[in-house]
Amino acid sequence: MKIAMINGSPKPVKSNSALMLKTLDPLISTGNELTYYNINKRPLTIEQYCELCRMDTLIIAFPLYVDGIPSHLFRMLVALEEFMRVEREQEIYVYTIINNGFFEGRQNHIALEIMRNWCTRCGLHFGQGLGQGAGEMMGFLEKVPLGQGPLKNLGKAMESLAHNIHSRSMDESMLFSPNFPRFAWRFSATHSFWNATAKKNGLKKKDMLKRL
Amino acid sequence: MKIIVHDLQQQEFAGWVDDPNAELTVLSDNDTIRQCMGCFGCWTKTPGVCVIKDGYQNIGELLSKCDELIIISKCMYGSYSPFILNVLNRSISYMLPYFVTKNGETHHRNRYDHQFALSVHFYGHDITEAEMGTARTLVAANSMNLYSIGNKVYFHNSLQNVKEAVL
Ligand SMILES: Cc1cc2nc3c(=O)[nH]c(=O)nc-3n(C[C@H](O)[C@H](O)[C@H](O)COP(=O)(O)O)c2cc1C
Repeated sequence: MKIAMINGSPKPVKSNSALMLKTLDPLISTGNELTYYNINKRPLTIEQYCELCRMDTLIIAFPLYVDGIPSHLFRMLVALEEFMRVEREQEIYVYTIINNGFFEGRQNHIALEIMRNWCTRCGLHFGQGLGQGAGEMMGFLEKVPLGQGPLKNLGKAMESLAHNIHSRSMDESMLFSPNFPRFAWRFSATHSFWNATAKKNGLKKKDMLKRL
Repeated sequence: MKIIVHDLQQQEFAGWVDDPNAELTVLSDNDTIRQCMGCFGCWTKTPGVCVIKDGYQNIGELLSKCDELIIISKCMYGSYSPFILNVLNRSISYMLPYFVTKNGETHHRNRYDHQFALSVHFYGHDITEAEMGTARTLVAANSMNLYSIGNKVYFHNSLQNVKEAVL
């Protein structure tokens, strides 16, 4: 099968969405042809849109933005709908891997519905969606084997996703948080992420709270 | 202050409101807005202001002075259209990066002791029931994260109807 691996994060480098695709890659690469697409620096070309219309499967990984889809990815989806109407000849299955900043992966449910509605408009099959909470932890867990410790839920979900991609099936979506206590996540996100980054930038706590 | 964010063409919106003044700010698409690049600079580098200086860096501050936010958007797949999403993506400096737990779910702490009323006017001639349901849920979630005073969602099948409802 021809599978498109689309990274819908706008970050110029190092996105959690890229890590999600990287985690899935070895589980689906055997016997399939995987092609990667990024839209963080520039929009897709007309040739790339046409290529997407000739794929068997689209995997779209993206971050949750304001409870929905990041604007640059949304622009791409709107354009792709037009191409799909004209260019598509075969059945295409769509799978999405969303990750969000807040702890609870279930907060991805609206973005998932929007993707489902998009598939309906395009005439594509929505296969399955995953939603990983506490997404910014992913970069710190790169050494942790999939399916273990905090990545236990992600491991199970990735297995289910890989299985469904192989068999071109539709399945229940899976929204989950890392296997890690929420208070510990919140503590380290507050101190080791926000405050530490601000400090590196020469800011104090009171600067962070600034009102304009 | 009242803010209208809309995705209409300049000529479609022409004549809807008097010239912008201290009481009304209109944000519309002139093709210059850039996408958020997910750097969190608006929280950890220049708190309250986006680092992309394209004229849309101050949306967080604008919201802190807003009493009524009116969004006019084409309804697409149950979401706002790209320009409205772009504005919302560029507005997270309105909040703080820090967390609170509300109803068992994590959200951001607010930066300002301030609240605005939120109403959203979606338009489109063939919006499905499923899309309307999604759009209502989306606006309710936004309302929760923006600490707005309630939220009102309307669907219109023509721009004329939007105009009559908004003015
Ligand atoms: C503009 C913006 C809006 C965001 N909105 C949400 C949100 O509504 N809910 C949430 O849980 N996380 C939100 N996040 C956090 C991202 O989803 C999170 O940082 C994610 O891990 C980024 O993934 P990426 O590295 O693939 O871009 C937002 C981040 C940005 C920059």
